[in-house]
Amino acid sequence: MSLASRPRPTTRPWLPLAFALGAIALGAIFGFGMPAYVVFVATSVLVAMVSLLGLGIVTGTAGMIALCQLSFASIGAWILEFLYLKTPLPTVFGAASFLVFMLIAGLITAVLGLVIGLPALRLRGVNLAVITLGVAAAVDTTVQQLGFPDQSFAHIPRPFGLTSDPTGDRGYFLFAVVVTVLIALAINALQGSRIGAAWKSVAFSERGTASAGTSVRTAKLSAFALSAFVGGIAGCLIVGQITQVNYLTFTPINSLGLYVLSIVVGSQLIDMALFGGILFVVIPEILKQFRVPLEWSSVAFGVLGIQALTSNSNLGTGVRAALFRRRRLREAARVEAAGDVAAVETVAEAPIPTGTGRPLLVVEHLTVEFGAVKALTDVSLVVEEGTILGLIGPNGAGKSTFVDAIGGFLPQHTGTASLDGEPLDGLAPHQRARAGLRRTFQQDRVPPSMTVGAYLRFVTRGKADPDAIADALHFFGCPDASIPLSVVDVGTRRLVEVAANLAARPKLLLLDEPAAGLSHDEHLAFANRLRRAPEHFGTTILIIEHDLDLVRSVCSRITVLNFGEVLATGDRTAVLSDPKVVSAYMGETEML
Amino acid sequence: MNIIIALAVGFSSGALYALIGVGLTLMSVLTRVINFSLVAVGVFGAYLSIRSAPLIQSAPLEVQTAVTVVIAVVVAAVVSGILGWIEATWLSEATTTARSAVTVASLLMLISLSFILFGSQPQPLRPLLVGPAFLVGEVAITKVGIAMLVAAIIVGVLTWIIVRHTPIGVRLRAVSDRQTAAELLGVNVKALQVSVWMVMGGVMGLCVSIIGNTAAADATSMITLVIPGTAAALVGAFKNIPLTIVGGLVVGALQGALTAFPSTTQLRDWIPILVIVLFLLWNQRKEVWDVAR
Repeated sequence: MSLASRPRPTTRPWLPLAFALGAIALGAIFGFGMPAYVVFVATSVLVAMVSLLGLGIVTGTAGMIALCQLSFASIGAWILEFLYLKTPLPTVFGAASFLVFMLIAGLITAVLGLVIGLPALRLRGVNLAVITLGVAAAVDTTVQQLGFPDQSFAHIPRPFGLTSDPTGDRGYFLFAVVVTVLIALAINALQGSRIGAAWKSVAFSERGTASAGTSVRTAKLSAFALSAFVGGIAGCLIVGQITQVNYLTFTPINSLGLYVLSIVVGSQLIDMALFGGILFVVIPEILKQFRVPLEWSSVAFGVLGIQALTSNSNLGTGVRAALFRRRRLREAARVEAAGDVAAVETVAEAPIPTGTGRPLLVVEHLTVEFGAVKALTDVSLVVEEGTILGLIGPNGAGKSTFVDAIGGFLPQHTGTASLDGEPLDGLAPHQRARAGLRRTFQQDRVPPSMTVGAYLRFVTRGKADPDAIADALHFFGCPDASIPLSVVDVGTRRLVEVAANLAARPKLLLLDEPAAGLSHDEHLAFANRLRRAPEHFGTTILIIEHDLDLVRSVCSRITVLNFGEVLATGDRTAVLSDPKVVSAYMGETEML
Repeated sequence: MNIIIALAVGFSSGALYALIGVGLTLMSVLTRVINFSLVAVGVFGAYLSIRSAPLIQSAPLEVQTAVTVVIAVVVAAVVSGILGWIEATWLSEATTTARSAVTVASLLMLISLSFILFGSQPQPLRPLLVGPAFLVGEVAITKVGIAMLVAAIIVGVLTWIIVRHTPIGVRLRAVSDRQTAAELLGVNVKALQVSVWMVMGGVMGLCVSIIGNTAAADATSMITLVIPGTAAALVGAFKNIPLTIVGGLVVGALQGALTAFPSTTQLRDWIPILVIVLFLLWNQRKEVWDVAR
């Protein structure tokens, strides 16, 4: 029995919903059972939690630095107040005004978030930090000068006619609980979806994301817009809570504090966002009781933040990793007791695939120049459908450059390429991936924040059902779908990457040294599996590999590159015994 | 004429932005970090130094000034050095993003500590240089502005000389390019990195002492001067020092020009971010990926 076919834990789609209903029930008991002051503070905790949830999308899931979460809140609050006080809309929507305005405010804030995120699109996290810090300061001073529409005079009515007294506070707390729970549910669902996987993937590698057929631009912008939307909602919740706001509620230093807290707790996780919200509100409350300056809480957050960053961990993932290790130990003990040890499977040697003879990938006169260096010169080759073509050559011959160019990462190349008769020129990497051209990387591009199964669902863009995923994992002897990639070793991660890309059933898969990091026995097993892959997955393969034994045992045809030019191409035995190839590849004196 | 005066007003702050930008650029090149705490350590040092005033009241004014400045420089250098030590010890192989995130956390700490220690009220932080240096027509160019521009150029040129023409410069370049490789060659990476942090912290402490409270009333608003500084550094793409100086002067000049139109004061605060955004959009018009391969 292989690892992959072991029964997977059943997914429980009703679980988040049960949690949500439980949380609302608990909120009702808390809101109407606790002292009024505690309920008021608890509302602040929820507001902070919503802010942290929004921030978690950008900082935790997508790995960017965003320092203006409360600017979004202040913009959302400003819009809500404006709609209430400066437009005739409250008479139109009546009791539902607050909800409607909150949504409008959230949406407008999301658009502003998009605008702010736009320049950060092709940039690394640090530049986003520069921009968002600038925005935080600018929004702060602007709001200071402009003031909020309430002018410290008018009060904003609470939703559903709730009054601004302790009884109303209790009702509003329940309202805040429901809004928070809905946001948490939505974020939880999104994180489990393909877009959530895209955020995690972008955080780890942009090139890996694009090669899986996902637009890096869409992934980043959606994260930023959603984060801003949730930030705007948080601002509206504050207005409903205190019915009157000023710029002091949204100071940039609190945005910094939220960012640091988000890193400390790992606020992409719902429970940790709640914990972060509690820290954010309760620590200053305690300091207030002891008449200690409130700023000490920010000092503490700063210290915790540095600790979290230097140890490269946060509370949430730390706790989860510990739980996972315990479960694994228990499971291992159970499997051992049942005598159910995964056996090494033996499959009959498969022949080298011969293909249909139809040209699938046609590359003509491909030339890539980096300044004065010609990495590839006039390379032309054809990959026949259903075959495995080996692309070999000494280090620096241009093999990986070839894969980069065909994959769409070097748009400035000259020459043409077409896949199955369709020209590839001008297509972005993710468009090529969707057109049926996939690639794997020499480096580890498999995001460790996902499970094996989630990674396969992401790479196959949701096209593979659980059976197809289990089949692909089983085919390459990969770990079970429920295993987190963070506990999988790098060599096996590369196998998972190959399995995932094959499960996507592309027309052509470019493998860039897939077997590096595997042991000799694993090499042989890999070669055997690879020979069966074109038939099993309906995929043609181009493989770059230094191990000539592997190339000889899987490829029907071989192309040799040397100094960026095609040295030889053709039948594998003919190419490998070509004296030109032997001298270029092995040196003048050595023989294959 | 108003606009020219406004430009002159903008020159002082522009020169300061340029200097901050140069500091940020150097730290980015030499230690792979966008140091959001750079100004904060200087401000912290300078504000702490004026606490020594009651202790040295009886000394002559020159001695008082000298002691205050020395305290400012030393405190800033030490605080910065501690940060550098943290980075070099635990985050030597981390990404620029992670390293910069630490300076965000320390920025939060320093702002809060400034609040606690110095309050949000203006402090008697006397500038070392007061008044105009010279007049261009009716336009006064302040001594502080000239000093900042000169300091930016001196820091830039000095670093260029050190990095290009001294043995320590070779090591600095090796450390910033390939830290592990440099370490394997026997370069004391940690000491080098910490000294860069200390020197830059000290320079900022000195600068804040020179400008005193001419640029901003209280500690926190002074710390936020790092934002137009990053705008300047971005114009040089955190690499090019001459462009950074130009960028700082441009941001200052734009802000100064706007003061000529009182109705546009709202826009003034958006100038740095506008420069940042426009520059980034132009600079990133070509496809760029997170890693070369």
